[in-house]
Amino acid sequence: MRRPKKYESGEATQYISRRAALRKLQLSLNDFRRLCILKGVYPREPKHRRRAQKGSSEIKVLYHTKDIRFLLHESIVWTLRDYKIFAKKSNRDRAIKDFRNLKRRLALFPEIKLDHIVKERYPTFIDALKDLDDCLTLLFLFSTFPSLHLIPREQSNLCRRLTIEFLHYVIASKSLRKVFISIKGYYFQAEIKGQKVTWIVPHYYPFKPQSRQEVDFKVMSIFVEFYTIMLGFTNFRLFHGLNLAYPPQFPSSVLQDSEDSLKDEASFVSDRIAALNFDLLRTDKVQEDEEELDIDMELLEQDGDSKRIIKMKQEAQEVSRLRTLFKGLKFFINREVPREPLVILIRSFGGKVSWDSSIFAGSAYDETDETITHQIVDRPSLATQYISRDYIQPQWVFDCVNQRTLLPTNKYFLGETLPPHLSPFVDSKRDTYIPPEEKALLDPSLIETHAQSDDDSEDEAEKEEEEAVDQELLDAQLQLAYQQETAEYKKYGGPDGVNEDEEDPEDDDEEDDDDEEEEEEEVDEKTKRLQEEKQKMSVQSGKVHKVNKRQVHKAEVDEHRLQARMVKPRHRNLFRKLIREKQTKEKEEWLLRKKRRTIEADNKEARKTAKREARKEAAAAAAKASKLGK
Amino acid sequence: MTAVEPGTKKKRISKKNKSAWRKTDIQDVEQFLEDQRQEERIGTFTDKQDEDLFVLDTSADKPAKAAVLSVKQKRKLNAKKPMRSHQALENTSKVQDPIAKRNHVRQKKNGRNIELEVCNPTKPRHRQANSDRALYYEKLEQRLADKKSKKLAVEKDIWEEVDFRDAIPGLKDKKGWISRELALHTAGNIGKKVVKTHASLHHKTTKAKKFELPHPGMSYNPAPEDHQDLISKIVEREEGIIKKEQHLKRVTTSMFSKVTPEERDRRRLQEMSQGMEEEEEQEEGQQDEAGQGNGEKPEENVDKPYHTVNAPVENKKKSKQARRKELKQKELARQTELKRKLKQQTADLIRIKSIRHELDDEEEDLNELKKRRKQRAEKAKFEPKRLGRHKFEEPDLDVNLPEDVAGNLRNVKTESSLLKDRFHTLQRNNMLPTTKLVNRKKAKVKRFERSSHKEPGVSYQDLKDKRRAAAAAAKAAADIKI
Repeated sequence: MRRPKKYESGEATQYISRRAALRKLQLSLNDFRRLCILKGVYPREPKHRRRAQKGSSEIKVLYHTKDIRFLLHESIVWTLRDYKIFAKKSNRDRAIKDFRNLKRRLALFPEIKLDHIVKERYPTFIDALKDLDDCLTLLFLFSTFPSLHLIPREQSNLCRRLTIEFLHYVIASKSLRKVFISIKGYYFQAEIKGQKVTWIVPHYYPFKPQSRQEVDFKVMSIFVEFYTIMLGFTNFRLFHGLNLAYPPQFPSSVLQDSEDSLKDEASFVSDRIAALNFDLLRTDKVQEDEEELDIDMELLEQDGDSKRIIKMKQEAQEVSRLRTLFKGLKFFINREVPREPLVILIRSFGGKVSWDSSIFAGSAYDETDETITHQIVDRPSLATQYISRDYIQPQWVFDCVNQRTLLPTNKYFLGETLPPHLSPFVDSKRDTYIPPEEKALLDPSLIETHAQSDDDSEDEAEKEEEEAVDQELLDAQLQLAYQQETAEYKKYGGPDGVNEDEEDPEDDDEEDDDDEEEEEEEVDEKTKRLQEEKQKMSVQSGKVHKVNKRQVHKAEVDEHRLQARMVKPRHRNLFRKLIREKQTKEKEEWLLRKKRRTIEADNKEARKTAKREARKEAAAAAAKASKLGK
Repeated sequence: MTAVEPGTKKKRISKKNKSAWRKTDIQDVEQFLEDQRQEERIGTFTDKQDEDLFVLDTSADKPAKAAVLSVKQKRKLNAKKPMRSHQALENTSKVQDPIAKRNHVRQKKNGRNIELEVCNPTKPRHRQANSDRALYYEKLEQRLADKKSKKLAVEKDIWEEVDFRDAIPGLKDKKGWISRELALHTAGNIGKKVVKTHASLHHKTTKAKKFELPHPGMSYNPAPEDHQDLISKIVEREEGIIKKEQHLKRVTTSMFSKVTPEERDRRRLQEMSQGMEEEEEQEEGQQDEAGQGNGEKPEENVDKPYHTVNAPVENKKKSKQARRKELKQKELARQTELKRKLKQQTADLIRIKSIRHELDDEEEDLNELKKRRKQRAEKAKFEPKRLGRHKFEEPDLDVNLPEDVAGNLRNVKTESSLLKDRFHTLQRNNMLPTTKLVNRKKAKVKRFERSSHKEPGVSYQDLKDKRRAAAAAAKAAADIKI
């Protein structure tokens, strides 16, 4: 048998260096980069670099040999080679000024077909949806780009078109769930086919030139090239799922033949589409309204009520409420407010929206419309105001969506200092310390109490006393009423009394039976005693059952101990870990709460003393005044 | 009837039969007769008056238009002329070449007559070319139409469940006679191979979240707690970086004592001249010796044989006796060591308990090590992999400083570039190797001034000449003085 040589098997053959891959595929480095990005083949890190690199220990870019072999079969490799030929031939034409030939050649530029790659990389539609985050963010970003070096204008235009189409889907399906304004841009989260899709839309400010020092534009452009195709297919499928015509069109009722529309219909339509303000043409005539949801709810109801199902039910209810959040409201967006994000929000939750027709095409009504309920403003003051509408700052819309209710508008009025904009991506039901401000935001009822707590401490004390008195009064009244009731029942034999009567004979029977068994040889004394007991048995007024807290706690602890002992040995570590985590969390929460309490107490004390001093001063002043008066 | 050019040679035609006589070209005769008839009808030139034939030109001659050609036109005209460099090769002799067929270059036939091939294809390759051409035009038209209508290529559902057999007519079987393997094999052989992606392409290479959700402190109007939390995070990181930097500085720069520049230069001089002074001294010494030695010339030093500085190596050989003794000593040492060990073992019997403890400790240490390694491996699963020469470094977190928080949407100060953020995410997700832009230095081009453009400056040569002249003048002056 031949002695195996070094690096002929194992890790050394599993990996291939980039240079070797280039040689194998007969491509230039740029073409190879492009191919890899399009096919989703990325470099790998080996476990033992020296072994994988056949003894050399410098850090090379390595690929799986299997991946490269997979690339060998790819049909676009041939297109990439065609590019090289194309460049050579067209350059020659240009050099000898054979423009006729050049024109012909340019028309037949070898285009890369990526459909099969999309299908290959995302075997199912859900896979594609799972990977949509990156894609959307990048495309939204590129849609704001002008034509740059290495980024052609058609690409950014295509990005704009696809993202607008996607937004149309989001609006039509009402799948938006969470929004967040960050310093990076607007975060949106939608739920599409059960997948949470998150993306960032940049703030629309003038384009900032990017330095080439940190970002490789060429690479990003290739990513975008792939993502545009992927989003195109996704959009097609999503639109068809909703029975919308795919290249979005308007029903003929929306598009009137006006001068503008007749002049250049294509640009007119594309402007209206970009406005996001009209419903699109549907391929079916009937509009179904949320029937699916109801069916789901019914199914769930059959399934008893485990915690998860209850949670799901709540979630479903909340979502159904969210979908009609702005129904019946009419918004007007002032010119200084970013239009697009707000239009998406308002439209996807059933509201009507318009803006000044000079900013963007597609406004539905004017500012003077008296039926407008909310005007979104972002400036300190406004000259002309209508009484019939609320002037609110844009954050109100975002917060309403996150809280899934219509919040009171008073905190968001024109010129008000806004409450903090909290992130919806932090779980509000988390079991850690939640500061009271956040709690107040989550539960509006707490706002009032919080506001009241700022009142005088003395007043509070008085109020407490009053409340205590009230409580006592109430208790006494209740007691009285109860006694009266019982008396009435005794008199007339209320339903309770009847029941008791019925029960009693049964009990007697049972006892009688028992007696009969033992009867014959029993002593009379016993029967006597029993009869006495029987006489004693009667309905008495109930006592409030006092819960012994200590005992309950003890029982709980015992139960917990028993549970701990019941845990299987292999799960013991996990159990301990869980317990420890819980304890630390509790401790942290306790600490924070304590901190808060001490701070608040200090504040209260300070306020009290300040007030006392003020009162003293006032008294002194009054005394002086009286003296002077005398 | 076409006029026969005068230069061309008449082709000889056989006139064997009477019918062949018809081939005779009688054009010239007929032409002559025609001319004669014409003259008879309208008369000859000689019959006419001069006034009939000529007109007096009374208008002044227009000045000949000075054709001002553009550079481009001139160039075009010049391009038509034969090259100047080839003029020498041209035959200017008036004498005709006696051998007409010398160096006769056969003109290439002017290609195929494609029109003919298109209209009536005769060969299979013509037909092939025709069908190819048709395909090409079809494609071109389609392409142009697509471009005009701005149609996207994505208007189909690629996620529809499609069996590859449906696309191949022969493999569609409703009766289930063709197995899947057979169908796969056939598809491969007719050029429609079904490529299977291997599973490792879809494997995740990192456990970290693909899309990072924002920290609540990044809100444009954050709650103070969240904002503080974010800032404290950033501060913590910055402190870590500073600590590392300080450590590096302590370990490298501040390890070495500092000296003044003068001291440094002096040391350098000293270091560089190490050994030179000694040699000089030696030479001097030798010269002194030579001087003392009386009569011995310094040139004799050169003839001295070469001596190494090191002492000569002696090859000391051990005697047989010494070897024997050494061996004996070794054996003895080995045996005493064995004895010692045996003794140790017996002594260890007493401390079995403590040995067991030691072993336990060792095992515990090992377990600890194992655990730590496992932890590290688990942590590494969340970190970006090392794909290229450069290590991925976490970019800074974005934050609005407290004075920048505007509190309303109109005055938001945006931080971070989204593009950079995306680029780093791709790198974090092991999709791109970390790279750094390399600015390759361009080769320095040495530039010379044309001598025609050179300013009359002072050159080194001039200076040298001047100095020499001055020296010569000074010498001459000195001579005169003497």
